[in-house]
Amino acid sequence: MSNETATLSQTGDTRKAARIKRETVSTVAIAIICVVLLYLSRFISPALGSWSQVETVLILGSFLVVVAFGQGLVILTGGLDLSIPALITLGGVLSTTAVGAGNPDAWFLLPAALLACGFVGFLSAVGVVWLRVPPFIMTMAMSIIVASAALGITKGTPRGYAPDAAVALMKSHILGLPSPIVFVIGFVFLGWLLQERSPLGRYLYAIGTNAEASRIAGVPVTAMQIFPYVISAMCAGFAGFMLVGYSSGATLRMGDDYLLPSIAAVVIGGSSILGGQGSFLGTVGGAFLLTILGTIISAIGLEFGLRTIIEGTIILIALLLLREELFNRIRSIRRKA
Amino acid sequence: MLKHRLKLAASAMVIAAAAFGATAPAHAQSEDGKYKIYLSLSYSGNAWQSEAANIVKALAATAPYKDSVELIEVISGTDPQAQISAYESMIEDGADGIVSFPISSSALNRTIRRGCDEGVLFFMYDATVTESCAYNVSYLSSGFGENSAQALVNELGGKGKIFLSRGVPGNSVDQRHTDGAMHIFNQYPGIEVVAEYYSYWDDRTTQQETAKALAAHPDVDGIWAQAGEYGAIQALMDAGDRLVPMTGENSAGFRLALADPAMQEKGLRGVSAGSPPAQSGYAFKLMMEILTGKRELEPMNIEYPLPWVPAADVKVCEGDSYENGCNVFPKDRVPSSFVSEVLNPELLPEVNVESALNGTPVEGATIQPLPEDVPEAANLPGINCDDCEAPATLYELTKVEATVQP
Amino acid sequence: MTDLTQTARRSEVQPPQGRLAGQTFARLLQGGLIIVILYFALYALYFYQQPRALSAGSIAALMNNTVPLALAAAGQTFVIISRGFDLSVAGVISVCNVVMAVYPLDGPGGAVMSILMCVAIGGSVGAVNGFLVAYLRLQSIAATLATMIICQGVALVILNAPGGRVADWLSYELTDRLFKTIPISGLFVLAVVLAWLYLRRTSFGISLYAIGADEHAASLSGINVRKVRFFTFVSAGVLYGLAGFMLSAQTATGNPTSGTPLLLLSFAAVALGGTSLSGGKGSLFASVMGAATLMLLQKVLFSSGVSSFYTGVFQGCVLIIAVVFSGLIEKLGERAAKL
Repeated sequence: MSNETATLSQTGDTRKAARIKRETVSTVAIAIICVVLLYLSRFISPALGSWSQVETVLILGSFLVVVAFGQGLVILTGGLDLSIPALITLGGVLSTTAVGAGNPDAWFLLPAALLACGFVGFLSAVGVVWLRVPPFIMTMAMSIIVASAALGITKGTPRGYAPDAAVALMKSHILGLPSPIVFVIGFVFLGWLLQERSPLGRYLYAIGTNAEASRIAGVPVTAMQIFPYVISAMCAGFAGFMLVGYSSGATLRMGDDYLLPSIAAVVIGGSSILGGQGSFLGTVGGAFLLTILGTIISAIGLEFGLRTIIEGTIILIALLLLREELFNRIRSIRRKA
Repeated sequence: MLKHRLKLAASAMVIAAAAFGATAPAHAQSEDGKYKIYLSLSYSGNAWQSEAANIVKALAATAPYKDSVELIEVISGTDPQAQISAYESMIEDGADGIVSFPISSSALNRTIRRGCDEGVLFFMYDATVTESCAYNVSYLSSGFGENSAQALVNELGGKGKIFLSRGVPGNSVDQRHTDGAMHIFNQYPGIEVVAEYYSYWDDRTTQQETAKALAAHPDVDGIWAQAGEYGAIQALMDAGDRLVPMTGENSAGFRLALADPAMQEKGLRGVSAGSPPAQSGYAFKLMMEILTGKRELEPMNIEYPLPWVPAADVKVCEGDSYENGCNVFPKDRVPSSFVSEVLNPELLPEVNVESALNGTPVEGATIQPLPEDVPEAANLPGINCDDCEAPATLYELTKVEATVQP
Repeated sequence: MTDLTQTARRSEVQPPQGRLAGQTFARLLQGGLIIVILYFALYALYFYQQPRALSAGSIAALMNNTVPLALAAAGQTFVIISRGFDLSVAGVISVCNVVMAVYPLDGPGGAVMSILMCVAIGGSVGAVNGFLVAYLRLQSIAATLATMIICQGVALVILNAPGGRVADWLSYELTDRLFKTIPISGLFVLAVVLAWLYLRRTSFGISLYAIGADEHAASLSGINVRKVRFFTFVSAGVLYGLAGFMLSAQTATGNPTSGTPLLLLSFAAVALGGTSLSGGKGSLFASVMGAATLMLLQKVLFSSGVSSFYTGVFQGCVLIIAVVFSGLIEKLGERAAKL
């Protein structure tokens, strides 16, 4: 019996209990894999496995955590968001274009950029919910459209400078910690509250499991289907803003590296691509797992092709370790005990 | 069912032919006797590509070409097939010439051959093709890799741990640069390449990849970088207040940093060299001289000289163009990713910084003839020729001498 | 038993008796009628703008451009009908391409060997995917992401920069025209489509739709879900191998990243062909036409002189409009079938 149908056929209460347990196990397992990888990396280079590597991972992973949160919500409702790269670029371009050398503190840039991105997300949602275009194709088409519009409007070269707020977000220190780390901790907490502890989050899980049933149960299905796309688009826009602060400028391909990783982080984190299952903490774990892997892989002194093979193999091993059936087995052992 | 579909297809075709066949416009001929020139980019969206394109646009809008040239820009993306398709459409459309940044050195060959047979001139800039009927205008044979590597070795006194910040994996330009650099580094047992990563010729990617490498090797002594070098400086600044000798390409950010006393104090030294967007303008002017009958030149590989600006030679410009030996524009004039080698007072006196940024011509300028002499490029097998041999002088240093012996 | 009938109805393989006209119409729609109409409408537009569009040379050139994507989309269709995603398409094509460029085999015999090699590469990667998804129960998108990354690594190990040369015989003959009219590359696609039309009526084909529509019901009705899923990925892999083979014939050279551009395009082609990405429905022929339409769209946009910066805006809009439109028509068709 497949996982999906298994979930479907269980009754509400046991499903909820099982979900929480399964996802806790999965999150803990990812955390363990991350720690083990960090520890093992010492053998590759003595400087690895140190606090400074953890710092690097947390900073570089923060962008992925932000976009993966949005991607996770969309996937939770059974969709998929391919417009993330274009929206990262849009967020980055919009938050720099108005900044000449003269007004780097224009405070309205961030809200304006987020609104614009949110609107694009809304358009995607309209296509998916009302026009019944498959999410995959709708968000891909939006991505092509937005990327091309950004190219046309900037004539190929984004101008301007990073706004002060973005630089402050990425480059200052709070209580001795780099500010992006403090930010990502806060973001994860808020995201967790929204997805796991709010009625909104419960609605999303319900829709992802069975939209028809949740409609009957009184869930505002349409609004809840639109919501994730808007949030995802705004998260991507915000990641663009962060990237601008990090590398002091926007480029038109600044989002390209985040599409597959955003999906991979969610799926490695234990979410089902078909919706209804998953946890944000798992996704965060997935995002950091991928980033840790990146830092380790770049330290291995092998040719790029071999490094790529190792990277893919480690991802595969992680997937096999995090396999559903393994958890079922652990659970059944515990139940017997 | 299939039969049904085929029938349907056939009838649709007939209807289409009947409806439009008679009234089809004569789109294929160049209007008003103008030269129909296509500018074919593979991708756009970084400073280098758009500056290269802007220069060509500005030149085509400068007298006398503004009245005799119809320039059409086409961006086909990073997919070789899309560029093949674009070339085919251009040939069909009756192009006189195609100025192009080719995405692949060999995948386009067959289509180029077909175009040559129909009398289309192909001028490639920066990246090259191995098809012998196309003109390649490129700095690739000018030895960026080996010269910059030697300059770095000199700065490091022949020993130290270094990073290689490379371009795009599986790309022949990146491979040529890296081969040249490794040829030098391998001669020095004291030089240890501790990390090698791909930065996709992009500032932000360079910054992130360098940050990753710094996590493993915080004690790096030098960085050999291709385009995107300004990101490496930012990564070093993020990791601590320490800079190291490095070589990179021509971004304004990097050049300004090289000339900045505060940065020098932190340990930044090095040289700015590498790929000049001005190649596109040179290619376009050369092509027009051939088309207008001012020059006779068989298809060949043409070398564009390697830009070479050591830290001591960086000079900030006050005006709109490179005058009095200045070679970088100030921070409030251009973004840090602006590629400085887009102007060339000798080959492209017609254009200025506004042309590079916006594609606008300089008021009152007219096209100046190019120098009589066209320098021939050395053979680079698989890069600008097929079934050919590299010269014995490949990897010979041209810009710098070894000041330390292995 | 109720489950089985339900499954069968949803996958439209066993139409109930009667209402023949409506049924036929609905099935035609499923088979890609809309995309065929769209394709010829676009072709007419292209011909209007560019009178040379109907010359045998132009048609063959367009066909050669289309074939690799068409084959990739054909493979993708298998997996999508079974309710999965297959990202490994990018990796398999790259590996086949570099293998053909590094180990060129000339002459007709060499071509046969090359094609077998590509099919073997694609089939083995597909088998790995199938094993991971069907037997180890990994999510298809995650498992194939890993195999894609590994394949990309393998391609870079075999050839670390573009180069090599595909056998001349192959690259010339396969892109040529038969009797100066019929593009040879098109015959490959035709063969694949014919094979598909046969396959979809076999028990494998019926099971494929059934597990995509409702895996639980399919397994209750006695279908060996694991086995079908496994062979779905193998078949898809074989088609990717063919796509890699044809791509090599067209570009005549090796490039370790040659498959990457086809990844998202293959999904777009499938969706444009009207196949819903949620499984249980779809047609390989429609996906092939979807691929052809995507490539034709490039030509149409080129010849209509849209500013190159903004071509993406048009591509995106056409994609959305086409999918919305075919959804509407399909609805009408279903309604007609019910009447």
